[in-house]
Amino acid sequence: MSSLAIQLLGASRAAILAALLLRPEVEMHVREIARVTGISAGTLHRELRALAELGVLVRREAGRQVFYSADRSCPIYEELAGLLRKTLGLADVLRSALAPLAGRVRVAFVYGSMASGTASAQSDVDVMVLGDAGFTAVVKALHPAQAKVNRVINPTVMTVAEFVRKWRARDGFALSVANSQKIWLIGDDDVFAELGKNRAAKAA
Amino acid sequence: MSLQNLARIGQLKPHSPTADEVQRLMAAVRRNLTDAARIDNSTETRFDCAYKGIMQCALVAMLASGFRPSTSAPGHHQTMIQSLPLTLGVSNDTWIVLDALRKKRNQNDYTGAALEVSAAAEAIRQAKELLTTLEAWLRREHPELLRAPR
Repeated sequence: MSSLAIQLLGASRAAILAALLLRPEVEMHVREIARVTGISAGTLHRELRALAELGVLVRREAGRQVFYSADRSCPIYEELAGLLRKTLGLADVLRSALAPLAGRVRVAFVYGSMASGTASAQSDVDVMVLGDAGFTAVVKALHPAQAKVNRVINPTVMTVAEFVRKWRARDGFALSVANSQKIWLIGDDDVFAELGKNRAAKAA
Repeated sequence: MSLQNLARIGQLKPHSPTADEVQRLMAAVRRNLTDAARIDNSTETRFDCAYKGIMQCALVAMLASGFRPSTSAPGHHQTMIQSLPLTLGVSNDTWIVLDALRKKRNQNDYTGAALEVSAAAEAIRQAKELLTTLEAWLRREHPELLRAPR
């Protein structure tokens, strides 16, 4: 995989950090981390100890069991979690799930709690898809991704015209989506700003 | 999971279907489809009518199969969608879309999230298709429920 996080951190470290930092309220037993990351015991123990010493993870012993969780007081916790959110796990999985529809999608992004980093363990993933792909195609494309990210994915599928019309009418939902933090899956801020210009021109 | 298993875990109760209730519900599905087709209705209303039609189709198939949803158990809508492959033999692909429509309705009702035109259009398409499937299935499996009630 060519994910930026993997290039920067190495596959093992990226997988461990993704497992723990993207679900910071969950404390995981070492064996559980081994299961979800597929890392062999020796490497895993070494990496976990190193990351705990760095202050990125918290280590807790209960009897003979050892648990690890994200240390949210780590000064770069937000940045690390943001890096992983944007490049690993969620974004990567969604991006490749939507890839077959790319020709019919102008922009696609995650918004809401998953994008702003305020998600809880139960939070759904809100995905906005603007273009001509249609509800059914997007639902079918994203369905298998739900098991991979272990969360419910809620796509909203609009044509660009429909979204711009709502946005122009200062519809509450369109405004809050437009103003929310985004993890880009297809397109970027520039393409989205272009839609906004379109909106201003039409409104004038 | 079978209907029997859903009954065992308390999601369903046994039921003796009557021609009268089945035909009353079929008429309601058709009414809902007519309302969903009205283009002067809002997208929300058209979606709601179509979704109601989908639920009623699922209910007819369940009643005809000898079960009804247990109103004391939570998650009726999920159970109804879950039952469709077991009653009408709905394909996995269709089930995925129907379940997405259920979540869409949930989100729209409880978080006020947008209801987009494409979701309403898909709900209408699915409701129509389900009605056709249901009619054929009733004729084949339960013709007695389609006879004029005494």
